[in-house]
Amino acid sequence: MSGTTTVSLAGVGGQGIILAAAILAQTAMAAGYDVKASEVKGMAQRGGSVVSTVRFGKEVWSPVSPRADLVIATEALEGRRALALLADKGTLVYATTVIAPGSVLRRERDYPDDLAQAARARLVQLVPVDAEGLAREAGSVRAANVALLGAATHVLPFAAGAWDDALELAVPAKILELNRRAFALGRAAAAPTEEGLSQ
Amino acid sequence: MTCAACCMGVEFAVAAGFPAGRGRTCRYNQRVDRISGSSVERVPFLSGNEAIARGAVRAGLGFACGYPGTPSTEIVEELARLEGPVVEWCINEKVALETGAGAALAGARAMVTMKHVGLNVAADPFMTLALTGVNGGLVVVSADDPGMHSSQNEQDNRHFAAFAKVPMLEPSDSQEAYDFVAWAFDLSEEFDTPVLLRSTTRVSHGRGRVVPRAPVTAERPGYVKDIAKYVMVPEYARERNRLMLARLERLRRRSEESPLNVLEAGTTDIGIIASGAAYTYAREAFPKAWFLKLGMSHPLPYGKVVRLYESVSRVFVVEELDPFIEDQVRALGLPVVGKEVIPSNGELDQEVVFDALEPVLKRKPPRRRRPVLPPAPVIVPAPRPADDLPVRPPVLCPGCPHRAVYAMLRREKVAVMGDIGCYTLGALPPLLSLESCVCMGASIGLMSGINRRMGRTAAVAVIGDSTFFHSGVTPLIDARYNETPGLVIVLDNRTTAMTGHQGHPGTGIHPDRSSGPALDIEQLCRGIGVPAQTVDAFDEPAVRTAIRDAVAANDLRVLIALAPCILMDKGPHEQVLVDDDRCNLCGLCIELGCPALVAGDDAVEILSDCTGCGVCLAVCARGALSLPEGGEGS
Repeated sequence: MSGTTTVSLAGVGGQGIILAAAILAQTAMAAGYDVKASEVKGMAQRGGSVVSTVRFGKEVWSPVSPRADLVIATEALEGRRALALLADKGTLVYATTVIAPGSVLRRERDYPDDLAQAARARLVQLVPVDAEGLAREAGSVRAANVALLGAATHVLPFAAGAWDDALELAVPAKILELNRRAFALGRAAAAPTEEGLSQ
Repeated sequence: MTCAACCMGVEFAVAAGFPAGRGRTCRYNQRVDRISGSSVERVPFLSGNEAIARGAVRAGLGFACGYPGTPSTEIVEELARLEGPVVEWCINEKVALETGAGAALAGARAMVTMKHVGLNVAADPFMTLALTGVNGGLVVVSADDPGMHSSQNEQDNRHFAAFAKVPMLEPSDSQEAYDFVAWAFDLSEEFDTPVLLRSTTRVSHGRGRVVPRAPVTAERPGYVKDIAKYVMVPEYARERNRLMLARLERLRRRSEESPLNVLEAGTTDIGIIASGAAYTYAREAFPKAWFLKLGMSHPLPYGKVVRLYESVSRVFVVEELDPFIEDQVRALGLPVVGKEVIPSNGELDQEVVFDALEPVLKRKPPRRRRPVLPPAPVIVPAPRPADDLPVRPPVLCPGCPHRAVYAMLRREKVAVMGDIGCYTLGALPPLLSLESCVCMGASIGLMSGINRRMGRTAAVAVIGDSTFFHSGVTPLIDARYNETPGLVIVLDNRTTAMTGHQGHPGTGIHPDRSSGPALDIEQLCRGIGVPAQTVDAFDEPAVRTAIRDAVAANDLRVLIALAPCILMDKGPHEQVLVDDDRCNLCGLCIELGCPALVAGDDAVEILSDCTGCGVCLAVCARGALSLPEGGEGS
């Protein structure tokens, strides 16, 4: 398992997890890694919790792993949930987007607000991203997944060129420019400051 | 001890599980004793199939169906001559099993008959009914055809019992065929599982004297709505799967204790494990051998196998077709002779068995070996998330036309049999509108079974357009043929939505998005003589009226609730407006489970993904919800 990096992408079905995972996988391949990935489809798509996984390294066998080095979450509660997957001292890059599940809509449950606390207990580094705001700025809120991916580039070992090539390969031509803008905005928004976002 | 194996109630001596003194079990000797008395003339001489039919009626059978297929056909034919059960031919074995399961769900003891290849057709419901369980007893009779007297293949359906993890009984003659049916029903109800009763040509079409037994009378259960048990969406199916695996271990212990699995002492140093017709051949070929006679041949009673090995130094497995038992014995690390001498194809008989085993007896007996019993398998429990976070199950989208139909349906007092698709999500809270989901197309057969049992439209079926074409047409024809009352609601959203909007015969759309002829469901229904009506799924009064009329009419109807999948309608959409003064947060609209409706502090709030479908308007009792002027829903 050593030498293999596992990235889990968590979110709500319909948020574009699969496209984000495809871009990430393409990037890792462009950067010369062996890559395995796994996605969840079917019933899980209808607004349920979904997790896709991308693993890269010198030689990768399994497409899944119960433990992630990095979690990219397109929704805050799903980011909170995915803490369970994250290795101690791992990084959680998450969209501050809130999509209330049914039990919260019906007021049977409260939307959890203990992310920071839970992350601290696990020594997890949090990277909150206003992915929807950035995507809207880029031209469509639907590009939030790609904006978030842009923000995650700082904790991934890929050169900018690899990301550019991957975007072109994975994103349909019609919406490529929009997604490039969203990606760049996300990347800029999460750029390391002096306190440092270091891996 | 009473000999329960032959159900004769005759006392005989047993020491440590072995019959002592007479050197034989009571099974045959005592039966001969009984019938050599004055009652000989009155003992019927029945084929195995007739015996299965009569044994089923004796066991309180309420419903039977099947599709004709040699050598199974005479069971339903005989049942039709007997008093008691509702009996019908079905359009095929899959529909038969679903209909039988429906009758069992409604509390009947139900039997479904077919030939071996018929179980291939019925495999879809068979595999999942093993998860849901049955309520009333459900016995599936598979009549196999070794030698292919009248079949296109020679498949060994014992594998199906292992495959589906259900118990299997194998009678070896007519008396057992008669007796085992009651055992099968008892097992089915005690363990809440379908039971496979496996016969072969020589059992089904062999004849023997059958001593009748006293009829079984028991109070029948009623239909019980239990969504988590009968709606096999992933979350519920995972739990049922765990229960099924645990049940298999309990069944193995039962098999160990079962009087149907008899260790028969012999007077030579030969042991033979056999079941069904093969047992009768081996018994004649080697009358002095020890036998492990398996009446309940799945799960295999390892302990009894080991006891046989403790009694003799060489053991044979005599079975027709595949090494089903032999492979399991071999896996215990025990030396066994089976398919290396016993033919793998065709039927056996006593001469084949004798000629096969006799040369082996000249070999030196194998060295004794210690058996290695398989340890109990690991069953992973339901994951307990470390953090108590609100779960996020999949939901019907805002604007989904299925929700509109459920909003009406959930108010009616009918059982709603469901099917496979997005609309299965209607079973989840808060809608709780759907009570079964077994396999593609099963909604209609289950509905038929319940309604046949109840004699009225006690259940309706809900099925998507793509699923209807997949396997909803055959059970509808079947319901028409058998004059079964019911209402089939086709939720026609013009696509195969759950898997990502693929085409189907009703849309004519191909994988490359080109389009060909589109079949009209209404016309199709009329073609098979079933009245069909199409309404807009969002037209609440029309949907409600159609449902009520159909339930009251107690005939067979189809209601096509038409509205395209909201995901194919990119908008822009109008959105529902809330009159905060009128809203009192009663929760009626929230109960629709729409992700665009949220309970706010003083009134409900509408989220940005509202599509203005207007279903919530119809349930609001205070007129607090509205669409912008001129809006009329999508």
